[in-house]
Amino acid sequence: MIKIGALSSFILLLLLWEAISLPGLLPSPLSTLRYIASLDPDLIALHTVITLYNSFAGFSLSMLLSLALGFLSHRNEFIRGFSMGICSIFNSTSALIWSLVLVSTIGILSPLPPILVASAVSLPQLLSATIAALDSVDKNLIEAVRSLGGSSANEYLDVIIPGSLPMIIAASRVALGLSLRISVVAEAFGSSGGIGYMIMRSYNLADAPGVLAWSLILIALVLALDRLLLMPVEERSSSWLK
Amino acid sequence: MAEVILEALGIRKGFSELVLADISLRLERGEILGIVGPNSCGKTTLLRILAGLEGYYEGEVRRNGSLGIVFQEDRLLPWKTLMENICLGLKYAGRRDIEKALNYARRLGISEEDLRSFPRRVSGGTRRKAAIARALALEPEIILMDEPFTGLDFSTMVTLRSSLADLLRERGISAIIVSHQLEDLLTVVDRCVVMTPKPSKIGAELNMRGMGLEERINALKDVLMRMVSDHGP
Repeated sequence: MIKIGALSSFILLLLLWEAISLPGLLPSPLSTLRYIASLDPDLIALHTVITLYNSFAGFSLSMLLSLALGFLSHRNEFIRGFSMGICSIFNSTSALIWSLVLVSTIGILSPLPPILVASAVSLPQLLSATIAALDSVDKNLIEAVRSLGGSSANEYLDVIIPGSLPMIIAASRVALGLSLRISVVAEAFGSSGGIGYMIMRSYNLADAPGVLAWSLILIALVLALDRLLLMPVEERSSSWLK
Repeated sequence: MAEVILEALGIRKGFSELVLADISLRLERGEILGIVGPNSCGKTTLLRILAGLEGYYEGEVRRNGSLGIVFQEDRLLPWKTLMENICLGLKYAGRRDIEKALNYARRLGISEEDLRSFPRRVSGGTRRKAAIARALALEPEIILMDEPFTGLDFSTMVTLRSSLADLLRERGISAIIVSHQLEDLLTVVDRCVVMTPKPSKIGAELNMRGMGLEERINALKDVLMRMVSDHGP
């Protein structure tokens, strides 16, 4: 039933798109698909890889920072306050502001702005989830491990990490999708490649089918990544819950 | 006189109010001691003090042997199978005698299939048995158990009580079993101490060695009647 519901939403959106395209406001779904088919596969692959690289690099950076700050916050009140502050500030700053600031300070030729924007936007999601996940670990289980002669390392390896993992992985699924969607904004403003760059390039050339075609490629990429990689990882990490 | 393996002297402990007023007790090697008392009289707090898990109390605890604990909750790691949970202490101690640990599990009635399952997938009774097997696996000289039979269905409780008592006596493990239900302990313990309502003291002590079931019931009834007349219901 859930699958039918999900399929219905896709069909509804497709019908809406078709309806809007009838008076000529947008290229139709079919003409967009024809446009994609006419694109050089190597070109699609090249810009897809650039976008994936930008978003994965940005996500990895924010994941490393989140894990480091999250675990330190678990042990130190000052770092906890500092991390909360970072979350608040970064959460209040839009991707557009990060893109403009980073492109104007680092430069349009640098590959860094899309990576850093993806990282800045996913960091508060991951950091607050990591802190909450560590807080939610059952202290009774830590006491049980201690009573069995477990060391601090055992507490982390056997309780804290596995206990917080499902929540961190669920947040990572959201954060990676966000990194992918946000890195294209930075690519659009200041990059020489990537799906975002191609969308902006098509827009500047008044190539409406191009804008929609590259947007569709981005959506397909986000969906494929979610279904083929993130969902199985999330399910595996919480198999003991079922 | 038998060797005293665990002794508490003048234990006083309070949180917002005084819970344990003055508790002294001793556990002899190989003995199974029951501690009963009304709800909220500080039985779990006393057990935690004996286990060394509670800080800031007055008095002294002397222990002459290794210790295993069975908590009131099962406290099994939900991401590990029952087998992994049972062998956890052995892993920490760097020991490999897993078969011995699994024998305890089998003696308590855990099936091979359940041993390979995650705690969520087995019954509450099986989880409780696994928690007891985990504590026994390290073959401690003393085992402290907090309400080990509470919340179990009647047949599980009866079989667990009997197999646990057999295991403890067979291995010569000294045990303290805390419960708020007298019938939990009637068939299992050698001696029983009864705590008063808080601020708690030891209200009565009863040696039940050599007594038949009926004698035990009558002796406990007498003790309880005396306590009710002294301290109220």
